[in-house]
Amino acid sequence: MADRRRRRLSHAAIHLTAALGLVVLAVTSFVAYRHSTWLTAALIPSLLLLISSHALLAREIRRHEVIERALHDTNRELESFSYSVSHDLRAPLRSIDGFSQALVEDAGPALDAESRGHLDRIRAATQRMGRLIDDLLALSKVTRAEMKTERVDLTEIATQIAGDLARQAPDRRVHLTIAPGLTATGDPQLVRLALQNLIENAWKFTGRREQATIEVGATRDEDGFQAFYVRDNGAGYDPAFAQKLFGPFQRLHPASEFPGTGIGLATVQRIVHRHGGHVWAEGKINEGASFYFTLT
Amino acid sequence: MDEILLVEDNPDDVDLTLRAFRKSKIANEIVIARDGVEALDYLFATGPHAGRDSNSLPQLVLLDLKLPRLDGLQVLERIRGNPKTRLLPVVILTSSTEEPDLLTGYSLGANSYIRKPVDFQEFVVAVRRLGLYWLLLNQPPPHPPA
Repeated sequence: MADRRRRRLSHAAIHLTAALGLVVLAVTSFVAYRHSTWLTAALIPSLLLLISSHALLAREIRRHEVIERALHDTNRELESFSYSVSHDLRAPLRSIDGFSQALVEDAGPALDAESRGHLDRIRAATQRMGRLIDDLLALSKVTRAEMKTERVDLTEIATQIAGDLARQAPDRRVHLTIAPGLTATGDPQLVRLALQNLIENAWKFTGRREQATIEVGATRDEDGFQAFYVRDNGAGYDPAFAQKLFGPFQRLHPASEFPGTGIGLATVQRIVHRHGGHVWAEGKINEGASFYFTLT
Repeated sequence: MDEILLVEDNPDDVDLTLRAFRKSKIANEIVIARDGVEALDYLFATGPHAGRDSNSLPQLVLLDLKLPRLDGLQVLERIRGNPKTRLLPVVILTSSTEEPDLLTGYSLGANSYIRKPVDFQEFVVAVRRLGLYWLLLNQPPPHPPA
Protein backbone atom coordinates (compact mmCIF):
# COMPACT_ATOMS: atom_id res chain seq x y z
CA MET A 1 0.00 0.00 0.00
CA ALA A 2 2.71 2.47 1.04
CA ASP A 3 4.59 1.48 -2.08
CA ARG A 4 1.62 2.22 -4.31
CA ARG A 5 1.08 5.62 -2.65
CA ARG A 6 4.74 6.50 -3.09
CA ARG A 7 4.52 5.56 -6.77
CA ARG A 8 1.39 7.69 -7.24
CA LEU A 9 3.10 10.62 -5.50
CA SER A 10 6.20 10.39 -7.66
CA HIS A 11 4.04 10.12 -10.79
CA ALA A 12 2.17 13.28 -9.66
CA ALA A 13 5.51 15.03 -9.06
CA ILE A 14 6.63 14.17 -12.60
CA HIS A 15 3.45 15.56 -14.12
CA LEU A 16 3.48 18.65 -11.90
CA THR A 17 7.08 19.59 -12.70
CA ALA A 18 6.54 18.96 -16.41
CA ALA A 19 3.40 21.13 -16.39
CA LEU A 20 5.17 23.89 -14.44
CA GLY A 21 8.05 23.71 -16.90
CA LEU A 22 5.64 24.16 -19.79
CA VAL A 23 3.85 27.10 -18.13
CA VAL A 24 7.16 28.81 -17.37
CA LEU A 25 8.33 28.17 -20.93
CA ALA A 26 5.14 29.68 -22.34
CA VAL A 27 5.45 32.73 -20.11
CA THR A 28 9.14 33.19 -20.92
CA SER A 29 8.45 32.88 -24.63
CA PHE A 30 5.80 35.57 -24.30
CA VAL A 31 8.15 37.76 -22.24
CA ALA A 32 11.03 37.12 -24.63
CA TYR A 33 8.76 38.15 -27.48
CA ARG A 34 8.08 41.51 -25.75
CA HIS A 35 11.51 42.19 -24.11
CA SER A 36 14.14 40.13 -25.86
CA THR A 37 16.87 41.35 -23.49
CA TRP A 38 15.36 39.32 -20.58
CA LEU A 39 15.39 36.14 -22.53
CA THR A 40 18.38 34.45 -20.94
CA ALA A 41 17.42 35.21 -17.34
CA ALA A 42 13.80 34.09 -17.81
CA LEU A 43 14.69 30.80 -19.48
CA ILE A 44 16.88 29.59 -16.61
CA PRO A 45 14.08 28.60 -14.15
CA SER A 46 12.17 26.75 -16.83
CA LEU A 47 15.27 24.84 -17.82
CA LEU A 48 15.92 23.98 -14.19
CA LEU A 49 12.38 22.70 -13.81
CA LEU A 50 12.63 20.61 -16.95
CA ILE A 51 15.93 19.13 -15.80
CA SER A 52 14.55 18.18 -12.40
CA SER A 53 11.46 16.56 -13.94
CA HIS A 54 13.73 14.62 -16.24
CA ALA A 55 15.77 13.43 -13.26
CA LEU A 56 12.59 12.30 -11.52
CA LEU A 57 11.49 10.40 -14.60
CA ALA A 58 14.87 8.75 -14.94
CA ARG A 59 14.73 7.62 -11.30
CA GLU A 60 11.25 6.22 -11.79
CA ILE A 61 12.35 4.28 -14.86
CA ARG A 62 15.31 2.84 -12.95
CA ARG A 63 13.00 1.73 -10.16
CA HIS A 64 10.74 -0.02 -12.64
CA GLU A 65 13.73 -1.73 -14.20
CA VAL A 66 14.73 -3.11 -10.81
CA ILE A 67 11.19 -4.42 -10.21
CA GLU A 68 11.05 -5.93 -13.66
CA ARG A 69 14.37 -7.70 -13.14
CA ALA A 70 13.19 -9.12 -9.80
CA LEU A 71 9.99 -10.36 -11.46
CA HIS A 72 11.96 -11.93 -14.27
CA ASP A 73 14.21 -13.73 -11.76
CA THR A 74 11.22 -14.99 -9.78
CA ASN A 75 9.62 -16.25 -12.95
CA ARG A 76 12.77 -18.08 -13.98
CA GLU A 77 13.07 -19.65 -10.55
CA LEU A 78 9.45 -20.78 -10.78
CA GLU A 79 10.15 -22.27 -14.17
CA SER A 80 13.17 -24.24 -13.02
CA PHE A 81 11.24 -25.35 -9.95
CA SER A 82 8.36 -26.79 -11.95
CA TYR A 83 10.85 -28.25 -14.41
CA SER A 84 12.52 -30.25 -11.68
CA VAL A 85 9.17 -31.17 -10.13
CA SER A 86 8.09 -32.47 -13.50
CA HIS A 87 11.28 -34.52 -13.94
CA ASP A 88 12.21 -35.67 -10.46
CA LEU A 89 9.11 -35.93 -8.29
CA ARG A 90 7.36 -38.45 -10.47
CA ALA A 91 10.26 -40.91 -10.79
CA PRO A 92 9.97 -42.32 -7.21
CA LEU A 93 6.21 -42.67 -7.70
CA ARG A 94 6.81 -44.83 -10.74
CA SER A 95 9.06 -47.07 -8.66
CA ILE A 96 6.51 -47.39 -5.85
CA ASP A 97 3.68 -48.15 -8.24
CA GLY A 98 5.71 -50.45 -10.49
CA PHE A 99 7.19 -52.60 -7.74
CA SER A 100 3.89 -52.81 -5.84
CA GLN A 101 2.35 -54.08 -9.03
CA ALA A 102 5.26 -56.51 -9.50
CA LEU A 103 4.67 -57.80 -5.97
CA VAL A 104 0.98 -58.36 -6.67
CA GLU A 105 1.82 -60.25 -9.85
CA ASP A 106 4.72 -62.34 -8.55
CA ALA A 107 3.69 -63.04 -4.97
CA GLY A 108 -0.06 -62.43 -5.26
CA PRO A 109 -1.17 -66.03 -4.63
CA ALA A 110 1.00 -66.23 -1.51
CA LEU A 111 -0.47 -63.04 -0.04
CA ASP A 112 -3.66 -62.95 1.99
CA ALA A 113 -6.53 -60.67 0.96
CA GLU A 114 -5.61 -57.99 3.48
CA SER A 115 -2.02 -57.71 2.22
CA ARG A 116 -3.25 -57.48 -1.36
CA GLY A 117 -5.62 -54.75 -0.20
CA HIS A 118 -2.69 -52.86 1.32
CA LEU A 119 -0.79 -53.07 -1.93
CA ASP A 120 -3.84 -51.73 -3.76
CA ARG A 121 -3.93 -48.82 -1.34
CA ILE A 122 -0.24 -48.08 -1.94
CA ARG A 123 -0.89 -47.98 -5.67
CA ALA A 124 -4.01 -45.82 -5.33
CA ALA A 125 -2.12 -43.32 -3.15
CA THR A 126 0.77 -43.25 -5.60
CA GLN A 127 -1.52 -42.45 -8.47
CA ARG A 128 -3.27 -39.79 -6.44
CA MET A 129 0.05 -38.13 -5.79
CA GLY A 130 0.88 -38.36 -9.49
CA ARG A 131 -2.34 -36.51 -10.26
CA LEU A 132 -1.58 -33.90 -7.59
CA ILE A 133 1.82 -33.24 -9.13
CA ASP A 134 0.26 -32.91 -12.59
CA ASP A 135 -2.38 -30.51 -11.27
CA LEU A 136 0.21 -28.43 -9.45
CA LEU A 137 2.22 -28.16 -12.66
CA ALA A 138 -0.89 -27.22 -14.63
CA LEU A 139 -1.67 -24.49 -12.09
CA SER A 140 1.82 -23.05 -12.33
CA LYS A 141 1.55 -23.12 -16.13
CA VAL A 142 -1.55 -20.93 -15.84
CA THR A 143 0.55 -18.40 -13.95
CA ARG A 144 3.48 -18.57 -16.36
CA ALA A 145 1.61 -18.72 -19.67
CA GLU A 146 1.93 -15.70 -21.93
CA MET A 147 -1.37 -13.87 -22.31
CA LYS A 148 -3.04 -12.90 -25.54
CA THR A 149 -5.86 -10.37 -25.54
CA GLU A 150 -8.63 -10.80 -28.04
CA ARG A 151 -12.40 -10.97 -28.30
CA VAL A 152 -13.62 -14.21 -26.71
CA ASP A 153 -17.04 -15.75 -27.33
CA LEU A 154 -17.99 -17.30 -23.99
CA THR A 155 -21.32 -18.57 -25.28
CA GLU A 156 -19.60 -20.64 -27.94
CA ILE A 157 -16.93 -21.95 -25.56
CA ALA A 158 -19.51 -22.89 -22.90
CA THR A 159 -21.60 -24.66 -25.53
CA GLN A 160 -18.61 -26.72 -26.69
CA ILE A 161 -17.67 -27.66 -23.12
CA ALA A 162 -21.24 -28.66 -22.27
CA GLY A 163 -21.43 -30.70 -25.48
CA ASP A 164 -18.27 -32.61 -24.57
CA LEU A 165 -19.61 -33.33 -21.08
CA ALA A 166 -22.94 -34.54 -22.43
CA ARG A 167 -21.17 -36.87 -24.88
CA GLN A 168 -19.02 -38.32 -22.10
CA ALA A 169 -22.06 -39.02 -19.90
CA PRO A 170 -24.99 -39.74 -22.22
CA ASP A 171 -27.13 -41.12 -19.37
CA ARG A 172 -27.01 -37.88 -17.36
CA ARG A 173 -30.07 -35.65 -17.67
CA VAL A 174 -29.04 -32.03 -17.16
CA HIS A 175 -31.12 -28.99 -17.94
CA LEU A 176 -28.52 -26.59 -19.27
CA THR A 177 -29.06 -22.99 -20.35
CA ILE A 178 -26.34 -20.82 -21.83
CA ALA A 179 -27.18 -17.16 -22.43
CA PRO A 180 -26.54 -16.00 -26.01
CA GLY A 181 -24.04 -13.29 -26.92
CA LEU A 182 -21.66 -13.61 -23.95
CA THR A 183 -18.41 -11.98 -25.07
CA ALA A 184 -15.40 -10.50 -23.32
CA THR A 185 -11.82 -9.47 -23.98
CA GLY A 186 -9.24 -11.92 -22.73
CA ASP A 187 -6.93 -14.82 -23.46
CA PRO A 188 -9.05 -17.41 -25.31
CA GLN A 189 -7.22 -20.45 -23.93
CA LEU A 190 -7.23 -19.25 -20.33
CA VAL A 191 -10.88 -18.16 -20.47
CA ARG A 192 -11.75 -21.58 -21.88
CA LEU A 193 -9.86 -23.27 -19.05
CA ALA A 194 -11.69 -21.16 -16.44
CA LEU A 195 -15.11 -21.89 -17.95
CA GLN A 196 -14.23 -25.55 -18.30
CA ASN A 197 -13.36 -25.81 -14.61
CA LEU A 198 -16.57 -24.03 -13.56
CA ILE A 199 -18.90 -25.97 -15.85
CA GLU A 200 -17.23 -29.31 -15.04
CA ASN A 201 -17.64 -28.52 -11.34
CA ALA A 202 -21.33 -27.72 -11.85
CA TRP A 203 -21.67 -30.96 -13.82
CA LYS A 204 -19.93 -32.95 -11.09
CA PHE A 205 -21.73 -31.43 -8.10
CA THR A 206 -25.19 -31.91 -9.65
CA GLY A 207 -24.39 -35.60 -10.22
CA ARG A 208 -26.85 -36.70 -7.54
CA ARG A 209 -29.74 -34.51 -8.65
CA GLU A 210 -32.72 -36.03 -10.43
CA GLN A 211 -33.39 -32.64 -12.03
CA ALA A 212 -29.95 -31.12 -12.52
CA THR A 213 -29.90 -27.50 -13.69
CA ILE A 214 -26.87 -25.56 -14.87
CA GLU A 215 -27.03 -22.00 -16.07
CA VAL A 216 -24.32 -19.89 -17.70
CA GLY A 217 -25.06 -16.19 -17.99
CA ALA A 218 -23.98 -12.62 -17.32
CA THR A 219 -24.92 -9.96 -14.80
CA ARG A 220 -23.23 -6.87 -13.28
CA ASP A 221 -20.94 -6.73 -10.26
CA GLU A 222 -21.39 -4.06 -7.57
CA ASP A 223 -19.23 -1.62 -9.58
CA GLY A 224 -21.37 -2.13 -12.67
CA PHE A 225 -18.83 -4.23 -14.57
CA GLN A 226 -19.99 -7.21 -16.59
CA ALA A 227 -19.75 -10.39 -14.53
CA PHE A 228 -20.25 -13.91 -15.88
CA TYR A 229 -21.67 -16.70 -13.78
CA VAL A 230 -22.08 -20.46 -13.74
CA ARG A 231 -24.96 -21.51 -11.49
CA ASP A 232 -26.08 -24.99 -10.50
CA ASN A 233 -28.59 -26.64 -8.18
CA GLY A 234 -26.09 -29.23 -6.95
CA ALA A 235 -24.51 -30.10 -3.62
CA GLY A 236 -23.61 -26.48 -2.84
CA TYR A 237 -21.22 -25.71 0.02
CA ASP A 238 -21.18 -24.43 3.57
CA PRO A 239 -20.80 -20.61 3.34
CA ALA A 240 -18.78 -20.70 6.57
CA PHE A 241 -15.89 -22.13 4.54
CA ALA A 242 -16.41 -19.92 1.49
CA GLN A 243 -12.97 -18.33 1.78
CA LYS A 244 -11.39 -21.77 1.42
CA LEU A 245 -13.08 -22.46 -1.92
CA PHE A 246 -10.38 -20.92 -4.08
CA GLY A 247 -7.30 -22.25 -2.23
CA PRO A 248 -5.25 -24.86 -4.12
CA PHE A 249 -5.99 -28.43 -2.94
CA GLN A 250 -8.82 -27.22 -0.71
CA ARG A 251 -11.87 -29.41 -0.82
CA LEU A 252 -15.21 -28.87 0.91
CA HIS A 253 -16.58 -32.33 0.05
CA PRO A 254 -15.07 -35.74 0.78
CA ALA A 255 -13.27 -37.23 -2.23
CA SER A 256 -15.39 -40.35 -1.83
CA GLU A 257 -18.52 -38.30 -2.67
CA PHE A 258 -17.12 -36.09 -5.40
CA PRO A 259 -13.72 -36.98 -6.89
CA GLY A 260 -11.06 -34.37 -7.59
CA THR A 261 -7.82 -32.93 -6.27
CA GLY A 262 -9.16 -29.46 -5.44
CA ILE A 263 -7.25 -27.51 -8.06
CA GLY A 264 -10.12 -26.34 -10.29
CA LEU A 265 -11.25 -23.19 -8.48
CA ALA A 266 -7.66 -22.19 -7.68
CA THR A 267 -7.01 -22.33 -11.42
CA VAL A 268 -10.13 -20.23 -12.10
CA GLN A 269 -9.03 -17.64 -9.56
CA ARG A 270 -5.54 -17.35 -11.06
CA ILE A 271 -6.92 -16.94 -14.55
CA VAL A 272 -9.40 -14.28 -13.43
CA HIS A 273 -6.72 -12.40 -11.48
CA ARG A 274 -4.39 -12.48 -14.46
CA HIS A 275 -7.11 -10.68 -16.40
CA GLY A 276 -7.43 -8.08 -13.65
CA GLY A 277 -10.87 -9.39 -12.66
CA HIS A 278 -12.28 -10.90 -9.49
CA VAL A 279 -14.16 -14.07 -8.66
CA TRP A 280 -16.67 -14.87 -5.93
CA ALA A 281 -19.22 -17.48 -5.01
CA GLU A 282 -22.65 -17.81 -3.50
CA GLY A 283 -24.09 -21.04 -2.19
CA LYS A 284 -25.56 -23.13 0.60
CA ILE A 285 -25.34 -26.78 1.49
CA ASN A 286 -27.64 -28.76 -0.81
CA GLU A 287 -28.98 -25.61 -2.44
CA GLY A 288 -26.51 -25.29 -5.28
CA ALA A 289 -23.72 -22.83 -5.95
CA SER A 290 -23.11 -19.82 -8.20
CA PHE A 291 -19.66 -18.75 -9.31
CA TYR A 292 -19.20 -15.24 -10.62
CA PHE A 293 -16.19 -13.69 -12.34
CA THR A 294 -15.25 -10.50 -14.12
CA LEU A 295 -12.49 -10.21 -16.70
CA THR A 296 -11.72 -6.50 -16.24
CA MET B 1 21.27 -55.39 -35.14
CA ASP B 2 17.86 -56.03 -33.59
CA GLU B 3 18.78 -54.70 -30.21
CA ILE B 4 17.27 -51.77 -28.35
CA LEU B 5 19.53 -49.24 -26.67
CA LEU B 6 17.93 -48.08 -23.43
CA VAL B 7 19.58 -44.92 -22.12
CA GLU B 8 18.42 -44.63 -18.52
CA ASP B 9 20.25 -43.79 -15.30
CA ASN B 10 17.60 -44.74 -12.75
CA PRO B 11 18.06 -48.45 -11.88
CA ASP B 12 14.41 -48.75 -10.83
CA ASP B 13 13.31 -47.44 -14.20
CA VAL B 14 15.70 -49.85 -15.93
CA ASP B 15 14.20 -52.82 -14.07
CA LEU B 16 10.63 -51.65 -14.65
CA THR B 17 11.25 -51.05 -18.34
CA LEU B 18 12.82 -54.51 -18.72
CA ARG B 19 9.86 -55.99 -16.90
CA ALA B 20 7.46 -54.13 -19.18
CA PHE B 21 9.31 -55.49 -22.24
CA ARG B 22 9.14 -59.02 -20.85
CA LYS B 23 5.43 -58.66 -20.18
CA SER B 24 4.95 -57.36 -23.71
CA LYS B 25 6.81 -60.38 -25.12
CA ILE B 26 9.38 -58.19 -26.79
CA ALA B 27 12.35 -60.46 -27.14
CA ASN B 28 14.90 -58.06 -28.64
CA GLU B 29 18.17 -57.80 -26.81
CA ILE B 30 18.26 -54.70 -24.65
CA VAL B 31 21.52 -52.85 -24.15
CA ILE B 32 21.59 -50.44 -21.23
CA ALA B 33 23.58 -47.22 -21.07
CA ARG B 34 23.46 -45.43 -17.74
CA ASP B 35 24.36 -41.97 -18.95
CA GLY B 36 24.82 -39.93 -22.11
CA VAL B 37 28.53 -40.61 -22.48
CA GLU B 38 28.02 -44.36 -22.21
CA ALA B 39 25.27 -44.17 -24.84
CA LEU B 40 27.52 -42.38 -27.33
CA ASP B 41 30.43 -44.73 -26.56
CA TYR B 42 28.20 -47.65 -27.45
CA LEU B 43 26.79 -46.10 -30.63
CA PHE B 44 30.16 -44.89 -31.96
CA ALA B 45 32.16 -47.86 -30.61
CA THR B 46 34.48 -45.71 -28.55
CA GLY B 47 35.80 -45.86 -24.97
CA PRO B 48 34.85 -49.12 -23.24
CA HIS B 49 33.02 -50.18 -26.43
CA ALA B 50 36.04 -49.61 -28.69
CA GLY B 51 35.98 -53.24 -29.88
CA ARG B 52 32.39 -53.13 -31.11
CA ASP B 53 31.54 -53.04 -34.82
CA SER B 54 30.47 -49.42 -35.24
CA ASN B 55 28.48 -50.27 -38.38
CA SER B 56 26.07 -52.32 -36.35
CA LEU B 57 23.46 -50.00 -34.91
CA PRO B 58 20.53 -50.75 -32.61
CA GLN B 59 17.09 -50.86 -34.18
CA LEU B 60 15.79 -48.31 -31.71
CA VAL B 61 17.12 -45.95 -29.05
CA LEU B 62 14.96 -45.22 -25.99
CA LEU B 63 16.31 -42.04 -24.52
CA ASP B 64 15.67 -40.58 -21.08
CA LEU B 65 16.27 -36.83 -20.88
CA LYS B 66 17.65 -36.22 -17.42
CA LEU B 67 20.96 -38.07 -17.37
CA PRO B 68 24.29 -37.59 -15.60
CA ARG B 69 27.20 -36.10 -17.60
CA LEU B 70 25.68 -35.64 -21.09
CA ASP B 71 21.90 -35.20 -20.88
CA GLY B 72 19.43 -36.78 -23.30
CA LEU B 73 19.03 -33.76 -25.54
CA GLN B 74 22.81 -33.45 -25.94
CA VAL B 75 22.97 -37.15 -26.83
CA LEU B 76 20.23 -36.63 -29.42
CA GLU B 77 22.14 -33.69 -30.89
CA ARG B 78 25.29 -35.83 -31.30
CA ILE B 79 23.29 -38.69 -32.80
CA ARG B 80 21.71 -36.39 -35.39
CA GLY B 81 25.03 -34.65 -36.04
CA ASN B 82 26.81 -37.86 -37.12
CA PRO B 83 26.14 -39.20 -40.65
CA LYS B 84 26.25 -42.78 -39.34
CA THR B 85 23.51 -42.34 -36.79
CA ARG B 86 21.66 -39.43 -38.40
CA LEU B 87 18.62 -41.55 -39.31
CA LEU B 88 18.60 -43.83 -36.26
CA PRO B 89 15.09 -44.02 -34.74
CA VAL B 90 15.19 -42.28 -31.35
CA VAL B 91 12.22 -42.28 -28.99
CA ILE B 92 12.39 -39.96 -26.01
CA LEU B 93 11.04 -41.75 -22.94
CA THR B 94 10.88 -39.38 -20.00
CA SER B 95 8.91 -38.10 -17.01
CA SER B 96 8.53 -34.57 -18.21
CA THR B 97 5.97 -32.97 -20.46
CA GLU B 98 7.47 -29.53 -20.00
CA GLU B 99 7.08 -27.60 -23.22
CA PRO B 100 10.78 -26.72 -23.62
CA ASP B 101 11.69 -30.43 -23.48
CA LEU B 102 9.11 -31.34 -26.11
CA LEU B 103 10.09 -28.46 -28.33
CA THR B 104 13.84 -29.05 -28.12
CA GLY B 105 13.37 -32.81 -28.42
CA TYR B 106 11.41 -32.55 -31.65
CA SER B 107 13.59 -29.70 -32.97
CA LEU B 108 16.67 -31.87 -32.56
CA GLY B 109 15.00 -34.63 -34.56
CA ALA B 110 13.43 -37.02 -32.07
CA ASN B 111 11.15 -39.51 -33.83
CA SER B 112 8.71 -39.72 -30.97
CA TYR B 113 8.19 -38.44 -27.43
CA ILE B 114 6.59 -40.59 -24.77
CA ARG B 115 5.93 -39.65 -21.20
CA LYS B 116 6.37 -42.42 -18.65
CA PRO B 117 3.09 -42.68 -16.74
CA VAL B 118 3.07 -43.20 -12.97
CA ASP B 119 0.72 -46.17 -13.36
CA PHE B 120 2.83 -49.21 -14.20
CA GLN B 121 -0.03 -50.92 -16.05
CA GLU B 122 -0.30 -47.90 -18.32
CA PHE B 123 3.46 -48.02 -18.78
CA VAL B 124 3.28 -51.67 -19.87
CA VAL B 125 0.62 -50.74 -22.42
CA ALA B 126 2.78 -47.86 -23.67
CA VAL B 127 5.85 -50.12 -24.02
CA ARG B 128 3.85 -52.80 -25.84
CA ARG B 129 2.55 -50.29 -28.38
CA LEU B 130 5.94 -48.70 -28.73
CA GLY B 131 7.53 -52.08 -29.42
CA LEU B 132 4.81 -53.05 -31.85
CA TYR B 133 5.16 -49.82 -33.77
CA TRP B 134 8.91 -49.27 -33.81
CA LEU B 135 10.11 -52.89 -34.00
CA LEU B 136 7.44 -54.42 -36.26
CA LEU B 137 5.32 -51.87 -38.06
CA ASN B 138 7.83 -49.15 -38.79
CA GLN B 139 10.22 -49.64 -41.76
CA PRO B 140 13.66 -48.68 -40.50
CA PRO B 141 15.84 -46.31 -42.54
CA PRO B 142 18.27 -48.03 -44.99
CA HIS B 143 21.77 -48.64 -43.72
CA PRO B 144 24.00 -45.62 -44.25
CA PRO B 145 27.02 -46.30 -46.49
CA ALA B 146 29.92 -47.56 -44.36
